[in-house]
Amino acid sequence: MRQSRSSRISRSPRGAVTAAALAAVMLGLSACGSGDDTGSADASGKVEGDITFQTWNLKANFKSYFEGLIDDFEKKYPDTKVKWVDQPGEGYADKISADAAAGTLPDVVNVSPDLVAPLAKAGLALDLDKSAGKYEKEYLPGAWESHQVPGLDGTYAFPWYLNTGPLFYNKRLFKDAGLDPEKPPKTYDQLFADAEKLAEESDGKVATLANVPAIEDFGRYGVPLMNKEGTGFAFNDAKGVELLTKYKKLYDAKALDGQALTATPESTGKKFLTEAVAMNPGSALDLEKFKKDAPRLYKNIGITPQISSTGKDNMYVMGVMVNTRTKQTPAAVAFAHFVTDAQRQMSFAKKVAIFPSTKGSLDDPYFTKADGSDQTRVRIAAAKSLKTAVNYTPVLFSEQMKVELRNAVARALQGKQSPKEALDNAVKSCDRLLKQS
Amino acid sequence: MKSQGAAAAATAGPEAVTAAGRGRRAGAPGAAGGREGRDGASGTARQGPARRRVRRQLVTSPWLFAAPGLAVVGIFILYPFVSTVINSFTDKRQLIEGKYVGLANFRELLHDDMFWIGLRNSTLYVLVVVPALVVLPLLLALLVQKQIPGITFFRSAFYTPVVASIVVVGLIWVWMLDERGLVNAVLEAVGAGKVGFLSDQWLLLFSAMGVTVWKGLGYYMIIYLAALANVPRELHEAAAVDGAGPVRRFLSVTVPAVRSTMVLVAALSSVAAFKVFSEVYLMAGPTGGPAGEDTTLVMLVQRTGTGLTGRVGYASAISVVIFVVTVALMLLVLRADRKEDA
Repeated sequence: MRQSRSSRISRSPRGAVTAAALAAVMLGLSACGSGDDTGSADASGKVEGDITFQTWNLKANFKSYFEGLIDDFEKKYPDTKVKWVDQPGEGYADKISADAAAGTLPDVVNVSPDLVAPLAKAGLALDLDKSAGKYEKEYLPGAWESHQVPGLDGTYAFPWYLNTGPLFYNKRLFKDAGLDPEKPPKTYDQLFADAEKLAEESDGKVATLANVPAIEDFGRYGVPLMNKEGTGFAFNDAKGVELLTKYKKLYDAKALDGQALTATPESTGKKFLTEAVAMNPGSALDLEKFKKDAPRLYKNIGITPQISSTGKDNMYVMGVMVNTRTKQTPAAVAFAHFVTDAQRQMSFAKKVAIFPSTKGSLDDPYFTKADGSDQTRVRIAAAKSLKTAVNYTPVLFSEQMKVELRNAVARALQGKQSPKEALDNAVKSCDRLLKQS
Repeated sequence: MKSQGAAAAATAGPEAVTAAGRGRRAGAPGAAGGREGRDGASGTARQGPARRRVRRQLVTSPWLFAAPGLAVVGIFILYPFVSTVINSFTDKRQLIEGKYVGLANFRELLHDDMFWIGLRNSTLYVLVVVPALVVLPLLLALLVQKQIPGITFFRSAFYTPVVASIVVVGLIWVWMLDERGLVNAVLEAVGAGKVGFLSDQWLLLFSAMGVTVWKGLGYYMIIYLAALANVPRELHEAAAVDGAGPVRRFLSVTVPAVRSTMVLVAALSSVAAFKVFSEVYLMAGPTGGPAGEDTTLVMLVQRTGTGLTGRVGYASAISVVIFVVTVALMLLVLRADRKEDA
């Protein structure tokens, strides 16, 4: 009797199970399509029509700035109408790629060099050397070149704002370890020595760094990142192996945080705020955050320039590109230039701790005259370093390549592979990805 | 398209319902085809066209009813499924149309260390999480099945993690398991020393499994509660009269009675476990743990296939492998059930 009951109960669920399972399994799969039509590359016509402008995570804090800017543009060109959309910081590349594949990419898009490279390769970014070459002289040469893609002729976005920042350090932690809090490390050798001392004195409780070296760290250390032709990566040379070997020593001594291998910029920022880590790179934006969220840290904050073996700091560049498929090329180019011109960049820089990429702007008293406050001191130092700063991250270094490098670094730090072996493998994987891109 | 189908079904609604009703009555006794033929021959001229209309509606109206559902299934499940399978044989990238490359993607998989790491982790996830999710919720359901005062509170409490967002839950566990988090503070206080839950590849993976089990308990508990309500009381009473203790009654009465539910739970949880993403992504970070050692197959799909440089073709190939393995898992579970049945 028990037998028949159980089989009666089981009969109906079995069908349900199969159906549910099939549905559940198939829901895991998905795909995308793509469209095809090209607008004109000629930007010389009349500036008119409706265009859409997309920014990257700027609406929350700068709504009135952009609304004012758009009003000014529409006043200057009464036949235009600009629609502004903003995308959240997280998943921006995914959003752009979905739009690009669906043919719904806005006319004017806020990008960074690594985002513009695949778009340019797919023929979606307008070559500004051809369509807007006359504006080139308004920008810092390094900034203009930052949106050029190896293997392609042309420049694919107007340079917009730049950012760089100092290295922040915790004076209290330095003092506790018997180091002079007024003499922060200036060279890599000093940095590594101080880090080991801090770890030793705190019994491994205080790490100095919380990030594994990324591609820009290799660049700043003086490692050649790509070959001259831009066809392959080269960061596995002796200098690269040397840097990774030094980091391995730091990791073993607990001078590099134990969770560094899985860290994100947010998590390391939090570690610095909670005084678990003695140094962290940042920007002028962070000072406000320290003041508000970590007053104890703010009292002990030390500020020192980025450490670099090349004499050139690292900078991050933002750009504004024009979609080749826009129906309103003249208006889109005019607007992209309008957003990034010297006047607009200067007023944006005064609202937030970023730096203009237009010629001469960095000589403005705002970036040169000290007023005694920390904020201004950081701003002046950053503006000065930007005149020679480099965007070390190669334009062709994709998200997938960043993961390859990160995993290779992690394997070396864990001792699963030697630094040389790990970097050789990373270069091999990145070269393969480069060929496939 | 979807709304169109729905509108057609809505307008055809009342008429179709009566037509279907008449059809069923007409066809009820004996073989429908033969009878209808005979009736048609002997019917009057006035009845002829009406019957033909009925017959036509018999063919079309069920499809009209099903149209909205079928459209949704077709657009959101079948089409993406087929296109994923097709993409898996191409070198399609996010922004660049692919060309047919045969089995190249699958051959590449064989030599991709990350794929094997992903397969290992996803398989391990099934092996650990599924037994736990088959047994623990049943015990929990037995615990809260009794009608005693205040039991609703406990039922709701056990169900809360199911309702909570996985992102919130994941972040809370990340804070608790951090080197300076609650768990480590307790461990240090009792002198056990720090444990690197979030820095060791295995501890990370098992921590994520723990979160999956903890979050899934309530959901499967509800399923078991429904099944337990169907277990006849007399069986328990008879067994008790025969002298069976609680353990014996659990093994001989409860377990056989809810066995088919256990199969259902095993099936649902193994599919979910093999496709795990959120917990591991949140706890091990976007890199998938140190050196990517905690990457699961779905995380690998996300990493290789998304972004502007995403390799859609290759990611599709991994998806197809996930599909095949999941179907195999299902068949395995169902087969185990059938064997016990025989």
